[in-house]
Amino acid sequence: MQNQDASETSVQTSEVDDWANFRDDDILQQQSAIVTEEAGKIPFLGDKEPLTSLAAEYKSGSPILLEKIKLLNEQYAAIRRTRGDGNCFFRSFMFAYLEHILESQDRAEVDRIKTNVEECRKTLLSLGYVEFTFEDFFTLFLEQLESVLSGNEDSISHDELVQRSRDQSISDYVVMFFRFIASGEIKKRSEFYEPFIQGLTNTSVQQFCKSSVEPMGEESDHVHITALSDALGVPIRVVYLDRSHGDKGSSVSVNHHDFTPVACDLTNATSASGSEAVKPFVTLLYRPGHYDILYPK
Amino acid sequence: MVDFARVQKELQECNRDFGVSGIKVIPKNEANLTQLLGTIPGPLGTPYEGGTFNIDINLPDGYPFEPPKMKFATKVWHPNISSQSGAICLDILKDQWSPALTLKTALLSVQALLSAPEPDDPQDAVVAQQYLREYQTYVGTARYWTEAFAKASSLNVEEKVQKLVEMGFPEALVRSALESVGGDENLALEKLCSG
Repeated sequence: MQNQDASETSVQTSEVDDWANFRDDDILQQQSAIVTEEAGKIPFLGDKEPLTSLAAEYKSGSPILLEKIKLLNEQYAAIRRTRGDGNCFFRSFMFAYLEHILESQDRAEVDRIKTNVEECRKTLLSLGYVEFTFEDFFTLFLEQLESVLSGNEDSISHDELVQRSRDQSISDYVVMFFRFIASGEIKKRSEFYEPFIQGLTNTSVQQFCKSSVEPMGEESDHVHITALSDALGVPIRVVYLDRSHGDKGSSVSVNHHDFTPVACDLTNATSASGSEAVKPFVTLLYRPGHYDILYPK
Repeated sequence: MVDFARVQKELQECNRDFGVSGIKVIPKNEANLTQLLGTIPGPLGTPYEGGTFNIDINLPDGYPFEPPKMKFATKVWHPNISSQSGAICLDILKDQWSPALTLKTALLSVQALLSAPEPDDPQDAVVAQQYLREYQTYVGTARYWTEAFAKASSLNVEEKVQKLVEMGFPEALVRSALESVGGDENLALEKLCSG
């Protein structure tokens, strides 16, 4: 070491300095490089594929899974994949919901959800969120909602909706909108969510929202789904495809869980006793760690 | 593309309650809103008290989806901040960033980091080790660095050194004495005389 001349030492030091300087940048750069690479493989949102493509994926896989996919075939026609970037639940929900509105032209539903969105805006303000941090995301979602209704100046086709869902400058904004909605709902009803959050991560509600709901790319759990479904008043069905045996004794069956918004429960109870539960029009396929969109027959 | 409309609103909001928070963000150059300078006061009751710390802020293209790049422009002695480069080790400036956060909330978190170092997740291993093994030395050094680099009077440190050296004390001794008393000239003199 002592034999090194001064200039060499200083070069080394500055390299160390640079390394220290740019370490975080490097990591972020590497992360975005990985994201870009992944993006090349699968877009934010894939094309609609027949369910047979799912079976092909597990050709030599577990017999339980193959059995379950066969059962899924009886009820579901197609799957639409989303990118596994940690936002897959929110992105799946975005497309499935907007696609449903586009196809059903259900203006009553649009008016209903707008009321809920307005409620959520008030919730965030009352929780102390600064308006400019979330207003752009709200505006962008409401624009998408308007655009899938026909007869507007800005009405869009199904193809255009697919394109928009693949366009980061729209898709990510809507994902972030849902993250705001979920976070606000969890904080508003923190006493309800606290035990679930404790079970998942052993952190406080505030900390959970800060580290697992609000940052992009953080994966969703039943807490996120419950919160989003409750806040927006949209029922969501999640079909589980995993290696577990189903409920029905020894024969294999496919489990699903319906996330039914609190408000829906009430309307049901008062309107018609014992009537069918609200039929979810957003159906997602869950495989451990990932959500895709399912299309019923 | 940086969302400049939002950055404008952030600057307004942050500087509006400067009187309360003491936190300020200004563009380094009016024509370019991606290069900013943040200012936070050192938290009371910490070795950083009384200091004013400048933080270089660089907004990446993806802001607010990507975190702002922040590093200390003022030298600071802290386990989670590089004493060489000013790089900050803070989760919300990395993978825990969210568009729900703002430059102001990020600076508030940096300020909170000054109050509550996390030596188990260090950015500067030397400082972290000192914090864990010789806490009082850490406090003294951090206070001295605040005095020397983060105060308006910081420019005077060299003058103080000069003055004490002229009184006949060796420079190395003067510097360590000043450091151990947090830069106070009279206390340093006392220490030098008694030592």
